[in-house]
Amino acid sequence: MILKKKDLFLIAFFLCLAAVLLLCFNKNAGTGIAVVERNGTELYRFDLGKQKGTQVIDLGGEYHVKLLVEPGAISFQHSDCHDQICVRTGKLSKPGQAAVCLPAKISVRITEGQKTIDAFTG
Amino acid sequence: MNHTTNLNLSPRTRSIAFNGLLTALALVLSAIELTLPPLPLLPPGAKLGLSNIVTMYATGAVGLGPALCIALIKGLFAGVTRGFTAMLMSLSGGLLSTLVMWLLLRVNGSPFGLIGLGVAGALSHNAAQLFVAFLLTTPAVLYYLPWLILFGVLSGIVTGLVLRVMMPLLNKFTID
Repeated sequence: MILKKKDLFLIAFFLCLAAVLLLCFNKNAGTGIAVVERNGTELYRFDLGKQKGTQVIDLGGEYHVKLLVEPGAISFQHSDCHDQICVRTGKLSKPGQAAVCLPAKISVRITEGQKTIDAFTG
Repeated sequence: MNHTTNLNLSPRTRSIAFNGLLTALALVLSAIELTLPPLPLLPPGAKLGLSNIVTMYATGAVGLGPALCIALIKGLFAGVTRGFTAMLMSLSGGLLSTLVMWLLLRVNGSPFGLIGLGVAGALSHNAAQLFVAFLLTTPAVLYYLPWLILFGVLSGIVTGLVLRVMMPLLNKFTID
């Protein structure tokens, strides 16, 4: 038997789960704080909302990883790693997004940062 | 086996040869997969998991032991060709998905068809890899979870369909 009723339930359940998780992760679109970590240790922190102009961060190391920080976005510009997964991830701009270079053990993720107050009401 | 070959092999020899063939098939499929260009719609790092077709077939048709051996050799092959991280990723995914598919096949009345089995295998494969990536790097990788679930489901369906096509061909080699 190639397709049973429970197969469809299984597929439907996991597609729903993926959709719910995606919605949760994309809820807070906008700017955030980019956190750069190597091996779990924080190296840099950029407030993407306040970033003026582009900046290339050379992390060096075995894979010569370079990050590109722009207003509102951050991305892996270069890595010598074999798979190039980190570079192909592209620009990160929303809280919850992340890019990882597994061989170099470098991760970039965007957190929400401090919640700012929009306005006071009297 | 084709009996006109007059080879009079013992069942043990046949089984070793057959498992060797399956292992070679798994290695060839993972090598072919590496040469495919990254599909634009897939998230970075997502692969079809073609060689899982072989472990899935081995789990059902030969048994848990040989299937785990194939997953193990596939992992070592990844280690030799693509480095230590790739080996850990391949081993964790391969061994867990083999175990999960074996358990599902043993459940009374086997609730899932080939597609459900493929999806369960692909999802457990991705889950194990994500967990290893989580241990190796930071919790940040968990943000891949929805995409890994989505493409796990898709590649599982493909795996199930391809196995359906391959099954009659592979069954020609069944050891009696």
